[in-house]
Amino acid sequence: MAARRNPRPPPIWSAVLFAAVLVAAVLLAAGCTSGGRSEGGGQAATPTSAPAAPAGPLKVQLVTTAKVPPGGLSAGRAARRAAPGLERFLDRYLRAAYVNAAGGEAGWDGLLGLFDTPVRAAARKQLNALSLGEAAPTVTAVRPGRATAKAVVLYGAKRPEAATVRVAFDGTADTAQGSGPVHLRSVLQLLATGDSWRIAAFDSRTGSAK
Amino acid sequence: MSGRASRGRLSRRGLAWVAALGLVTALAAGLVATTSPGRPATARAASVGQAFTVQRAHAGSATPALKGRIVLLTVGSDSGAPRFGRGGSMESGRADALQLVIIDTARRRGAVVSFPRDSYVPIPGHGTSKINAAMAFGGPRLLVATFERLTGLTIDYYALTSFDGLTDIVNKVGGVQVDVDMNLRDHFAGAFLDKGRQTLHGGQALAYARARKTLPGGDFDRSRHQGQLLLGGLGTFQRQVAKDPTRVMAWLAVMRDEVKTDLSFPELLRLALLATAVPPSQIRNIPVPGAAGSAGGASVVRLQPGAYSLFARLRAGKLS
Repeated sequence: MAARRNPRPPPIWSAVLFAAVLVAAVLLAAGCTSGGRSEGGGQAATPTSAPAAPAGPLKVQLVTTAKVPPGGLSAGRAARRAAPGLERFLDRYLRAAYVNAAGGEAGWDGLLGLFDTPVRAAARKQLNALSLGEAAPTVTAVRPGRATAKAVVLYGAKRPEAATVRVAFDGTADTAQGSGPVHLRSVLQLLATGDSWRIAAFDSRTGSAK
Repeated sequence: MSGRASRGRLSRRGLAWVAALGLVTALAAGLVATTSPGRPATARAASVGQAFTVQRAHAGSATPALKGRIVLLTVGSDSGAPRFGRGGSMESGRADALQLVIIDTARRRGAVVSFPRDSYVPIPGHGTSKINAAMAFGGPRLLVATFERLTGLTIDYYALTSFDGLTDIVNKVGGVQVDVDMNLRDHFAGAFLDKGRQTLHGGQALAYARARKTLPGGDFDRSRHQGQLLLGGLGTFQRQVAKDPTRVMAWLAVMRDEVKTDLSFPELLRLALLATAVPPSQIRNIPVPGAAGSAGGASVVRLQPGAYSLFARLRAGKLS
């Protein structure tokens, strides 16, 4: 009876109330931080208002198939032999185009060195479609996310000769104004150069629009 | 009384709940308000964890920028085709299909210049004979020298295949779409085709390339058809690569297996990639002007003055 006359909120409701107030406090704090910075000179929220996810290592997930000459290696074996070198090359590409490009201090020579000479001038003119491009100086860091590639390798008598690779890279770029996604979707036509590869042609898209 | 008091306490407690919930709602609404239009998009995005645009969308593509003009001699040998009962090696046979493929790489235009195989021309070290004999006399190198002397053009590369090779190439790439320009009923070549655009399989493509005896223009029609096959192959290649870029590797694999050439592999790859960007409509199929004649009892084709005018225009960089 006493309980009926003097009801107390059950413990569950206390917990809900506490949680609601806590959420409100957090939301308030977030709103104040954002609004304050906005009013103070038109600056957007810093990464502190959108906490940075832990930086993950760049790891290209590569699927390789191969075309082989009659009497040569089996297609499966050729693909397995070609894969490590391709993976290293794509890793170099994505580091040069995104991870190491942040800040814009590294320049683009490293990236352009991955292109075959007859296509290098075109690549230099189209860096925005191949890398962070003109956004690089404003980016403080690029945190790699998903990096996948599918390759069809033309295998010769003893080694890979060429490959077509579809590359997809998603990452997060941090700037003083905030963090946002960066994307690369490319088809690269590669020429084997003995110990590595060169990009002989490309069809590429970048930016935040997928 | 105690009941009313109790209800009053409940009411006050209820009001407190309502007030607390109202506060939460108001705070949340306030936060939403701070992220409504009017504030910089960057702040809005970051504060609610949405996408903040670091880089605008860009798209770009490129194929190799090669030297100004490439001249490629394509050759169909009548030897080295066991399936057609043609023994020997391709290089020691007679060159029965002869086209100069000229590509202006800067303007992405070109020409396929088709030579009648019976063209009666000087062959270095061998007097004057049918042009198709040059390869039998001295292999692709002598054939190239013969063309260079005849046209005054520098031949950069040659590419050579056989009956078997042409058939296999066409079959392995899934057929080649060609604008067949006449109804064909040629029992000698096995060509039975109706006029119109169609996809030819390997045997049909070879028959179209070989048919001569029943054609009104004889060797001239045949050499024009060979040029059409080359252009049809280019168009088919481009359509396939546009749908699936990995088809470049499939075509290169076929070429590597079926064609002999002095192109290095990097040059072949670059040329193939360049070919994806040269519309077939920008490549003219030009038969070399000639007239039927005879020499030593054999029927030959004597090149007409128009042929030498054509060579002069080609030397000057024109493609018509």
